[in-house]
Amino acid sequence: MTSFEEPAITRQGVDEAILSCEGLTKAFGGVNAVNGATFDVPRGKITALIGPNGAGKTTVVNILSGAMKSDSGSMRLGSTDITNWERYKIARLGLMRTFQLSRELSGLTVLENLLAAPKVQAGESLFNIFFRPRLLKREERQNIERATEILRTYGLYDLRDNRARELSGGQKKLLEISRGVMASPSLFLLDEPMAGVNPALIERIGGYILDMKAQGVTVLMIEHNLNIVEKICDNVIVLAEGRTLATGRLSDLRNNPEVVQAYLGEVINAGTGH
Amino acid sequence: MSQFWLSFGFGLVTASVLAIAAVGLSLQFGITNYINFAYGDFMALGAYLTYYVNAEIFHIDIWVSMVIGSLLMGVFAVGVNHFLLSPFARRFTKSFYVLIVTFGLSLIMLNLLYAIWGSNVRSYNMRIEQVLHIGPFLLTKNQLIVMAISIILMLLVHVMLKTTRLGKSMRAMSDNTTLAMTTGIDTRRVTTVTWFLSGTMAGLAGTVLGITEGNITPGSGELFLFVIFAAVILGGVGSIYGAMAGAVLIGLATEVSAVFINPAYKLDVAFVILVLTLLFRPNGLFAQPGKA
Amino acid sequence: MSAFWYYVFTLVFFLFDYFILAMGLNIQYGETGILNFAYIAFVALGAYVTGAVSMPNSVGTGQQYIFGWGIPFPFNLIMGGVAAMVLAFVVALITLRRLRTDYLAMVLISLSLVFYDIVNNYVRLFNGADGLYNVPEPMSGVFHLTLNAFVPFFALVTGAVALILWGVMSRITRSPLGRTFRAIRDDPDVAAALGKGVFRYQLTSMLIGSFYAGVGGGLLIQFGGSFNPTAWLPGETFVVFAVIIVGGVGNNVGLLMGALLVETLLIHLPAFLPNIPGHPGLIEYIDTMVVGVVLMLMLWFRPQGVVPERLRRFPQPAGELANRDGHSVAPPEQSHYVAAITTDDSEPKDAQ
Repeated sequence: MTSFEEPAITRQGVDEAILSCEGLTKAFGGVNAVNGATFDVPRGKITALIGPNGAGKTTVVNILSGAMKSDSGSMRLGSTDITNWERYKIARLGLMRTFQLSRELSGLTVLENLLAAPKVQAGESLFNIFFRPRLLKREERQNIERATEILRTYGLYDLRDNRARELSGGQKKLLEISRGVMASPSLFLLDEPMAGVNPALIERIGGYILDMKAQGVTVLMIEHNLNIVEKICDNVIVLAEGRTLATGRLSDLRNNPEVVQAYLGEVINAGTGH
Repeated sequence: MSQFWLSFGFGLVTASVLAIAAVGLSLQFGITNYINFAYGDFMALGAYLTYYVNAEIFHIDIWVSMVIGSLLMGVFAVGVNHFLLSPFARRFTKSFYVLIVTFGLSLIMLNLLYAIWGSNVRSYNMRIEQVLHIGPFLLTKNQLIVMAISIILMLLVHVMLKTTRLGKSMRAMSDNTTLAMTTGIDTRRVTTVTWFLSGTMAGLAGTVLGITEGNITPGSGELFLFVIFAAVILGGVGSIYGAMAGAVLIGLATEVSAVFINPAYKLDVAFVILVLTLLFRPNGLFAQPGKA
Repeated sequence: MSAFWYYVFTLVFFLFDYFILAMGLNIQYGETGILNFAYIAFVALGAYVTGAVSMPNSVGTGQQYIFGWGIPFPFNLIMGGVAAMVLAFVVALITLRRLRTDYLAMVLISLSLVFYDIVNNYVRLFNGADGLYNVPEPMSGVFHLTLNAFVPFFALVTGAVALILWGVMSRITRSPLGRTFRAIRDDPDVAAALGKGVFRYQLTSMLIGSFYAGVGGGLLIQFGGSFNPTAWLPGETFVVFAVIIVGGVGNNVGLLMGALLVETLLIHLPAFLPNIPGHPGLIEYIDTMVVGVVLMLMLWFRPQGVVPERLRRFPQPAGELANRDGHSVAPPEQSHYVAAITTDDSEPKDAQ
């Protein structure tokens, strides 16, 4: 679990955890939504967070991203203890997230949605705005170039000057993911990135996630579709009743009776037929 | 010491007025999940409707007039919700719009009152009461009646919330509107009834404020608004029982403080408590989860 | 100078002054989403401080007020703006961090009423309910203007101040800082998830807007020479909201338009109408109601205002300039992984 403190081991190929959390709990009005979740997210891999409805997956993502404070437990991002940090500080460490229902910055254009993403911009300081206009211009030009490139990749380039609220559901999903990519995350939490989109788009989003991995981004995604999980995820964390039930490769977990009983049973069998 | 108890007695009167106002505001907030910034003017309009019945057309007893004026206010509130606020709340997801509309409504109502009744101070047509000595307190019969009305009203609200189907529906909607809708509650009907209750209580509160203060002006409700807000925030926004408790605490604090500081600032004490609440217990004393 | 021009320049003054006030509220509400229902309290503080620092020592004036330093224009104005910023800083520290939009509005409107109560009752601060009067005419030592000459002169001074503040404001709103403000307005949770310290930016926005409020207030007291509590009841905040909503939230030109339509035409022009006999003030009451109704109709039928917030387009990167129609024709670049997992050959254009 603490192997990331030993660079030597890392080089030998042991999975290094970019994120590790221990004993996270969170109760809402007496109901334990998360009840001692403990897991590591290996660096540079795509990890799926799966589990039946009400297992506490979104709550875990909310806790990890700082949108909610856990009642107890601890979490570390890299070597930094981020337990109960404010969410914007967690984001500045390189942890980005998407929301289950896409949340676009509705009054901004598509391009502006991306331009707003870089975490700390010189142009956000009043002093720089009035006294260092050239620095601003240069930074803005670089950001526009990068955003343009990302928008092209995500097929949103033609829509760059449209207000985000005018996009379709699928486009909003893409916008949200590309906005996260624009922020250059080291760890990207995706909350059901493929929920409610058509099959063609599911495939595309899967491709983008693999692209992120190729560029060194670690991904932790909540996903119900085990076909997708099988195709793109290296690693699976199974959550049930707010606890970590098992971690490992999906193929191994299929034979884990506990997992099968709690959740996977039918779904796995249905999935293997594909 | 006797000065203290005298003020304490006045505090109970203020608390009684405030409790009616705060519960009326909270009932509506719990259901619609936005603040009605025209509430102070609802109170003032209610006070003037009572005045109209009591002193201008029928010349009937103040308490009967109060009931008529308040019920008229209830009907008015239902109309305002139906024709103005509810369409805005349904159309715009951001709460900004409906909040600004209530703010604008406040301005319209205030100026309507000025246009009709002018800026002169008015008084209800009622007998000048003897001051009664009750224990350490010094109160008029009217003030005692106001306290009795308030206590009875609070008990009625409590019974309604706990035992009637309407009350249970209201509590369910206050917790989670979408969930309440899926469990078969007629949310529109509950909303309408709630606005009626809220308007009626605003009318009652405005009238009893006028009775205890001895006069009414178009601006009296508006200036009272922040005291209500202080009570509601202290009790925890959206919590009915919190509003009652907040009203008692704020009512007592404002009047008792007049023993120690210049009485001109006694209502500002409510604001100080409001700020302290925000600093140390931003969700109020009896916060409802998910409402802050 | 005929009475006609005197009135015209009075209207011009209010046009520019409310343009300044509208810019200040717009950056808070229109750009950052802070529902500042206490806005007029910041205007009032700016007015009082500007007046009180420019007046001579209060002894022997028949008024009671603090300061009394005889500070000349425009430094008194800046002090008014800074005073409003100080108030904003304290208010923001207490409220912004913890409160949802509507609670914030509740606290702010309470603040506005309490501030009113205090100024009204605590006479030693700003002369209580009588308000400040005999505020020295700005630059009177330099120009020695008659009242009739002063009005057009000061209307133009206000125009110049408005122009400078407009330049500053559009620089801010066009910058990445302005973009971050709008991101917070649209969704503070998303902004925070992108690493934006929401509180810091809201505070910045509050401070900028309050400076404008204070300066606008300072100009008011300098123009009229007096200021008293009836000038800033909560209804006045609503007028500024009406200006920015009618004109167009998030658009500086729209704000000027709103100031013209609401403040100049709706509010000040009817003030020149003769009173209806036997009904003093009736026109004013009806007029204010009309403002309320107009605002509601605008919100319903044209929520974006007369001049809507414009789309902020950006020059395309160099490589793209060749493409004259401004649209790229290329399909989205295929991720080279997509082929590996694509099961059918469906079109890459995305859909609902």
